[in-house]
Amino acid sequence: MAITADDVSLEDIIPISLDFAVVEVSSPEELAVVGADTRVRVSHQEEELELRLPFGSHSRLFLSEVNRAWSDVCKSTTQAPRFEWISKYHKNTRGQGVVKQAPSPLDSTLTQLNEHKKTEKPSDQKGSLERDKGSSNSGTQKTRAYSSQESQGLSSREDRDDLVRSSSHTTSNKAQILAMPQFGLRDNLIKCELMKSEDIYTYLQNFSFFLGTYNVNGQTPKESLFPWLNCTSDPPDMYCVGFQELDLSKEAFFFNDTPKELEWTKAVSEALHPDAKYALVKLVRLVGIMLIFYVKNEHAAFISDVEAETVGTGIMGRMGNKGAVSIRFRFHNSDICVVNSHLAAHIEEYERRNQDYKDICSRLQFRQLDPNQPPLTIMKHDVILWIGDLNYRITELEVSNVKELISNKDFETLHNYDQLKRQIDEEAVFVGFVEGDIDFQPTYKYDTGSDLWDTSEKCRVPAWCDRILYRGKNIVQKHYQSHMALKTSDHKPVSSLLQIGIKRVNPDDYKRTFEEIVRNIDKMENECIPSVTLSKREFHFTDLKYMQHQAETLSLFNDGQVPCQFEFIQKPNESTYCKAWLTANPSKGFIANGGTVDIDFEAFVNRSTAPELNSGQEQIEDILVLHLERGKDYFISISGNYLPSCYGSSIHSLCQLKEPIQDMPQETLREMAEKSGDENAENTEKPLDIPKELWMMVDHLFRSALKQEDIFQQPGLRSEFAVIRDCLDTGIPDSLPGSNHSVAEALLLFLDALPQPVVPFSFYQQCLESCSNASQCEKIISMLPQCHKNVFNYLAAFLRELLKNSASNRLDVNILATIFASLLLKSPTKQDFAEKRKTQEFFQHFLA
Amino acid sequence: MAKQYDVLFRLLLLGDSGVGKTCLLCRFTDNEFHPSHISTIGVDFKMKTLEIDGIKVRIQIWDTAGQERYQTITKQYYRRAQGIFLVYDITSERSFQHIMKWASDVDEYAPEKIRKILVGNKSDEVDKRQVATEQGIKLANAYGMDFFETSAFTNHNITETFTRLAEQVLAANKKDLDLLRMSGNEEINLAALEEEEGLYERVASDESKGCWC
Repeated sequence: MAITADDVSLEDIIPISLDFAVVEVSSPEELAVVGADTRVRVSHQEEELELRLPFGSHSRLFLSEVNRAWSDVCKSTTQAPRFEWISKYHKNTRGQGVVKQAPSPLDSTLTQLNEHKKTEKPSDQKGSLERDKGSSNSGTQKTRAYSSQESQGLSSREDRDDLVRSSSHTTSNKAQILAMPQFGLRDNLIKCELMKSEDIYTYLQNFSFFLGTYNVNGQTPKESLFPWLNCTSDPPDMYCVGFQELDLSKEAFFFNDTPKELEWTKAVSEALHPDAKYALVKLVRLVGIMLIFYVKNEHAAFISDVEAETVGTGIMGRMGNKGAVSIRFRFHNSDICVVNSHLAAHIEEYERRNQDYKDICSRLQFRQLDPNQPPLTIMKHDVILWIGDLNYRITELEVSNVKELISNKDFETLHNYDQLKRQIDEEAVFVGFVEGDIDFQPTYKYDTGSDLWDTSEKCRVPAWCDRILYRGKNIVQKHYQSHMALKTSDHKPVSSLLQIGIKRVNPDDYKRTFEEIVRNIDKMENECIPSVTLSKREFHFTDLKYMQHQAETLSLFNDGQVPCQFEFIQKPNESTYCKAWLTANPSKGFIANGGTVDIDFEAFVNRSTAPELNSGQEQIEDILVLHLERGKDYFISISGNYLPSCYGSSIHSLCQLKEPIQDMPQETLREMAEKSGDENAENTEKPLDIPKELWMMVDHLFRSALKQEDIFQQPGLRSEFAVIRDCLDTGIPDSLPGSNHSVAEALLLFLDALPQPVVPFSFYQQCLESCSNASQCEKIISMLPQCHKNVFNYLAAFLRELLKNSASNRLDVNILATIFASLLLKSPTKQDFAEKRKTQEFFQHFLA
Repeated sequence: MAKQYDVLFRLLLLGDSGVGKTCLLCRFTDNEFHPSHISTIGVDFKMKTLEIDGIKVRIQIWDTAGQERYQTITKQYYRRAQGIFLVYDITSERSFQHIMKWASDVDEYAPEKIRKILVGNKSDEVDKRQVATEQGIKLANAYGMDFFETSAFTNHNITETFTRLAEQVLAANKKDLDLLRMSGNEEINLAALEEEEGLYERVASDESKGCWC
């Protein structure tokens, strides 16, 4: 029993700062008793507090949160927290920091005397809030009262002024839990596997469990419990001792507060087997129902995960006058749950008792260490030991018949009239539980202080109210008996010694099994990494040409065990996943396991990618990275060759070429491209006036298409363009193939593909500014580089020839200006409509 | 039961094509050996759980393409690693000479506190040996690295090598780990931490979904 949220008052909250520390100070003996409270020392500046936190996940969570908060403070030391919000509560506070000594502990092996502080709480809180849980086992009564109230939900929390405080606690707890990383999946898998292979790494070892139940009818201990608890020759390994009706007073009922707890605990501890030392692991009490769990000292280290819970099934089905208390723990590798219950009274109420049993089974839940795990119920344990005043009676027999059977010691016959036996036989209650043969007379009801049956007016029929049942494997009952010697109560105590096969871990086997499981899970995980096979890793595009589409297909087959998502990803320093002349279609997608997806790699060189390929500065070469989400990366190589073309080559370069471009060595083309920007570079040979390819196209049109209707207005054929392009790039024929319209379009495409337009970008702005002035325009043209000027004048002259035949070809100045201005005068950036108009105005001067 | 592992980090296998990087990985993670050589074209990885000083360490081992033409791309993976195996083939003088180049690439592209270990693989092929053990030791000393001769074929020194590098990475990051553990994190994901400044945004987002867990 230890600190609860209500026990800490605001004025004592210590700011977590650099001079703050929390240290665990549990003594070695306490550490040996797993399940014991955790003692921590909190220090801050001059102040020091010692607290006890209850064993279990809540405390662990709390400590880890405190540590986390502390390390946060360490990281940002610039500002100490000032706790301004606390000031509004300060008016409620009184004194603080009164040092007090804890009451002397009951058993020196169990608890240590410790110094601690006690704080007087604010006046508006009822009762005494004690931080001191110094003697948690013997129990500071008031403290116990409050913490038990908590668990019963009896407290009228709403009435208190500290509602704000408690609710804020709740939300912050939630936030912390939500903030916890959720890495549990793998852990759970390992846990499951470990559980499945438990037989491999565990072996059974027998331990003796002494179980005792005693309804003490509100009495104080008047005689030694020695005859009851010490009836075995060898000291048992465990003691689970349960009481009912420990205190029948109103105070006990309403405040869950009783001096009897201490008295009876003391009586028990004094009557334990003298040949062994015992440690008290846990005590739990609900009003008058109490369960104490002792373990032989040497076994304490193997007890873990101790939790205790209570469930009230009394008045209104909730109160603690009836119900159950329970302690669960892990001993070696077995999970054990001990329940002490006091079920509904009165002969006719057996169905009520059945219901109480069911309520206890469903409502009694233990929290788990891992907050993500659902709570544990009683039935989830390997071993369940159920003791208590179950209150089942003997029916259908007259008192005299019962007593006669008893005096004949014909317990077998009598047992047939026992309600519990009948209910179990009908599977109405305690399904799966075993009860040993009853070879003792009923334990209820006697005149207190005697062995005489109830002589009161009611003259109750004797009954086996007090019972011990168990459920689980490898359990042998060594004895099951009552203890007539004890006369304090109207019940007689009952005891049973069980020999239970407990699963013990063989550390070597465990390690081997664990490693095997981890290895398998690793393997499983590796097998689940998305994976595909690729039909090809290398793709080659042969003789790629300007504006010629080529495609290759990659088949992805998902050979992994999971569906996968693929995507081509960018390489560093590149803005796209592949070069501009390439696309992958689709570039991302999803493949079910066993499924296939085809990806087309499409190569297409257009005017923006052609110049560098023509000059040889760029190659048809790329590596694509195909990434599988949560999986591998695959590299895909793209290679190929590009046939250089006059399309996308500069006017300057083409003027240097007297041979078809494809007859030129790559090296020459690259050199020329490097020099192209440099007008002054002296060439050994005089360059051509205009590119011969341009001349061939214009000459062709001049000779055969001056009168062609709708020339430059009708589109050409794509197939004919390819032939014309090849013709221009590979030879110098006398005439070009294809229709006039195709040649006209080839000309327009040629102008469009020029890396530097006929009127170079640097002149563009000037042209706009002087577009309305004819002589200015002519002056600008005269300033163009020689070959550009030649091309411009040559084209203008040709277009003027065309206009002379406008009657046949239906062209006019406007049409030609619109078409050609946009090709000859290109904006280095984006062109708006006004600029477009100006370029047309500019060009019109040369068509008149 | 408490958590099953505490740390996750990433190790990278580097070295010329054909020195046996993929075989080392297969032997270590699956205890398998495939004698035929299939070039890794891309970046592959496998997971393995180790226990070092009571800390459960999950390592993600990246196997990279060794061929030269992919090196500009594979270099970009270096900075996401905490440890690197520099692998050569004891039957190939050339692969040993190239270690210098690999090491200088690592210096250039990998995080500063990356841990390296030198591995001379194919130690079983005694007859074809071209690189003496002493040469390996000498080079490792010059770089201040540990050195192992391994054989994926005979499973010689495999676990030792991987464990050693994992230990070194753990030690190199001890301070950060302690700090993080103080703050109560259930698991420390070194790989994800480095990822924040990572190369590929998409990997970072993948990691944040907790996919390795």
